[in-house]
Amino acid sequence: MALQDNNLWYKDAVIYQLHVRTFCDSDGNGIGDFRGLTNKLDYLQELGINAIWLLPFYPSPLRDDGYDISDYTSVNPTYGTIDDFKTFLAAAHSRRIRVITELVLNHTSDQHPWFQEARSSRENPKRDWYVWSDTDNKYHGVRIIFLDTEMSNWAWDPISKSYYWHRFFNHQPDLNFDNPAVREAMWDVMKFWCDIGVDGFRLDAVPYLVEREGTSCENLPETHGVIRELRKRLDSAYPGKMLLAEANQWPADVRDYFGNADEFHMAFHFPLMPRMFMAVKLEDRKPIIEILEQTPQIPDTCQWCIFLRNHDELTLEMVTDIERDYMYDAFANDKAMRINLGIRRRLAPMMENDRRRIELLNGLLLSMPGTPIIYYGDEIGMGDNIYLGDRNGVRTPMQWNGGWNAGFSSADPERLYSPLISNPVYGYQSINVDSQRRSEHSLLSWTKSVIQTRNSFRVFSRGSIEFLSPSNHRVLAYVRQLGEEKVLVVNNLSSSAQAVELNLQSYKGHIPIEMFGRNLFPRIGELPYLLTLAPYQFFWFRLRRI
Amino acid sequence: MAEDILLGDDFLRQLMSVGEVDLLVAIPTYNNAGTVAQAIQAIEDSYQQNFVRDRVVILNVDGGSTDHTTETILNMNGRKAGAHRGITSLRTVHRVTTQYGRTPSQGMALRTVLAAADLLRARSCAIVSPATTLDSSWIASLLRPAYRQDFSFVAPLYTRTKFQGLLARNLLYPMSRAVFGLRIREMYSDEWGFSGRLATQCLDQNLWGDEAVRARPEAWMAVTAICSGMKCCQSFLGPKAPPPAGSGPDIVETIRQTVGNLFWCFETFQDHWMDRTGTESVPTFGSDHELTPEDAPASQEKSFELFRTGVKQLDDILSSILRPDTLSQIRKIAGVEAGKFRFEAELWVRTLYEFAASYHRTVIARDHILQALVPLYRGQLYSFLQEHRASSLEEMEADSEALCLEFERHKPYLIERWKAKN
Repeated sequence: MALQDNNLWYKDAVIYQLHVRTFCDSDGNGIGDFRGLTNKLDYLQELGINAIWLLPFYPSPLRDDGYDISDYTSVNPTYGTIDDFKTFLAAAHSRRIRVITELVLNHTSDQHPWFQEARSSRENPKRDWYVWSDTDNKYHGVRIIFLDTEMSNWAWDPISKSYYWHRFFNHQPDLNFDNPAVREAMWDVMKFWCDIGVDGFRLDAVPYLVEREGTSCENLPETHGVIRELRKRLDSAYPGKMLLAEANQWPADVRDYFGNADEFHMAFHFPLMPRMFMAVKLEDRKPIIEILEQTPQIPDTCQWCIFLRNHDELTLEMVTDIERDYMYDAFANDKAMRINLGIRRRLAPMMENDRRRIELLNGLLLSMPGTPIIYYGDEIGMGDNIYLGDRNGVRTPMQWNGGWNAGFSSADPERLYSPLISNPVYGYQSINVDSQRRSEHSLLSWTKSVIQTRNSFRVFSRGSIEFLSPSNHRVLAYVRQLGEEKVLVVNNLSSSAQAVELNLQSYKGHIPIEMFGRNLFPRIGELPYLLTLAPYQFFWFRLRRI
Repeated sequence: MAEDILLGDDFLRQLMSVGEVDLLVAIPTYNNAGTVAQAIQAIEDSYQQNFVRDRVVILNVDGGSTDHTTETILNMNGRKAGAHRGITSLRTVHRVTTQYGRTPSQGMALRTVLAAADLLRARSCAIVSPATTLDSSWIASLLRPAYRQDFSFVAPLYTRTKFQGLLARNLLYPMSRAVFGLRIREMYSDEWGFSGRLATQCLDQNLWGDEAVRARPEAWMAVTAICSGMKCCQSFLGPKAPPPAGSGPDIVETIRQTVGNLFWCFETFQDHWMDRTGTESVPTFGSDHELTPEDAPASQEKSFELFRTGVKQLDDILSSILRPDTLSQIRKIAGVEAGKFRFEAELWVRTLYEFAASYHRTVIARDHILQALVPLYRGQLYSFLQEHRASSLEEMEADSEALCLEFERHKPYLIERWKAKN
């Protein structure tokens, strides 16, 4: 099958991120499930994405949206059975869509049998699978990630009368990766899912696997050692499977997670994301250029993963204090929009439902170096509900149509796992897949078109990038190149029309062909190439020497 | 439109790239390659520290430097934006340079700046000198009042040594204060701030050909703001080092430029000050002006001699400028020995008002009138130094305030002489 042929498939992917719970409910219990998701695969194929990243679907007390796993090798019965998953996987593969699942390495739920055993007595063989201490002074000074809810990285266990280490919620005890048995157990989990056929894993909370006194307990060499060991075994047993790192760190720190192409295949570029928003709000390319200048080279077989929004808050950890204040003022002036160090909003409301800005940001996402991830619902401009608590406001049911429960479920509305978005602007009556399918000018139709264009030219996924430096700082322009394939991208980041002169001397003689309308533009000559752009307009030009 | 003929295509192209800005700091240069980098760095630092979110530009207007001043600016690497303090500007800090002519002219430089400010729709602007040792805090102090509040003209205040700035203390400040009614101490300065609104208003004036504007445009901007009812204020900057000896214009040229400009402003804006009575203080940001002790300058006997000689040699000219009784009193004090010499405040005030009126009526060539004032100023300066050689800073300040009040008290005399036919 063609899917098996390309070991670098992740470089050419356009990933669609979703939670099975949110997408489609097939059995009318108010919660999305694998059968419902399988029924919607045609939609995703039509959208043009070629990989799905599934948020955790394992058995879990669901105190952290499934990131508190209590059984790694099963499916939460609410979402279906393991057979339902296998059916979904086969159906996705038949549509040439890969599937990436979550692997939460760092911690389990406190309801996981491993932890239950570990806390049962200090002599239990599983005791050393977690990180224990008689005091809460160990690893002093290590930062607390969930500032809004946690006072310490240690939590008291009244059963075994000692403290256990947790970098996230106190009901998520960290596993002890110094213990070979833990590493072996995690490899067993990976084997289980690889044998079923998943194409890759998104590894959660990677920097925190190993703890050492006197350090920040982040990005330690021993953590890299764990990753290298898993990667080696994966490559050997399952070539072509992909590992994606969640490491919310500066690019220079994340670079180490690529190793010598012997750790992760891909990693999220967290700092780029807020800077794309900032650049559009500031109407200045500086934030994007600065962070990409600080981004180190990575091995040829590796790739950055870039995104605009996801299931979490728009994290502002990788920005300066001044930048964070600006982001809050610009995008979260209502305190209810903020959580932890971030903003719990979706793309469309952040852009004030301005199609031009939504398109510009998607244009950036799909034309910059890296594998893009589209968060479910953003392709139709879904809104959020900042009053739902935690980050649930960006995890509301997918809006399929303007009918009963937005076409998401046949259950009574009260039974839905989450209220639908129902306000006049973003409500499912006005924002839904069916209505946008009917208009070739809808955001959905536009998104399909731009994804299709991206997928048609490998230069977007694998090409180099050269930034141009026009004196007009409101314009971000770059050339992507892969062999003889060249694409010029010109973005107007501002709310006003702009003229820009581009130094395209290196491409003298080429004809720019606008990629959406396929219109020819004047041949590039000796003089600076003059373009005018409407507010927030962007061009993708194929440069051809004919 | 003024800017149509003023701005070259290359400059316009640069401005197009900058687009609309919030803040503009301009730095006029002429052969300042040695000091301009420090000034640019201070401006950039100020932007990085104080205006991280704002749209900003640094504008260099050059009067035809031959020492690579503009190249020095263009080749400067922007410091990684205050990275040492974890502070960085969110936006691009633009640098634009242009040459407005082949010879330096403060008026032409300012006109170019105003045209750029108008096109870029800058909300707040400042002019700074490349020859001054700039502190980055100065820039913020000059920009903030027009940016954050509703002020249109921002005059600087400095820490000065006791005997620094005596022309302003004894003539420019008290006279402008009495006439225009606002207590702005430093109307003639190398640094000042202004709003975009005032920039546009001044740009549209058809006065750029006047020598007074070309030489010292800053006071004209201040008076324009005052007479247009715009809000003015003062911002304390800090210690202002005097220029190195011999680097600036001599006293004759200084008086021609500053006093000439002041008299020209009296005339240009006469409809606005005739009926104005009393004076008002203006809001001041930071400390009021400060004085630091300083030893008295060496013997000023030569000044006194130049005064006496001038009164004698210029008698004919002075008799056409001054009223007979005023001239008679000046002749009289010119005759006393140096140790007993004193130029009384009332006589000094009447003398200046009569000079201003004669300038208005052009009783002789205006330049001759200004040059004739020079020896009299030397006499007044000698008198002032004799009197305050040993006095405390407080005593000197009190005396200066008394002089200001004397100017105010005699303002009706100025109006009378101004309106008189001879």
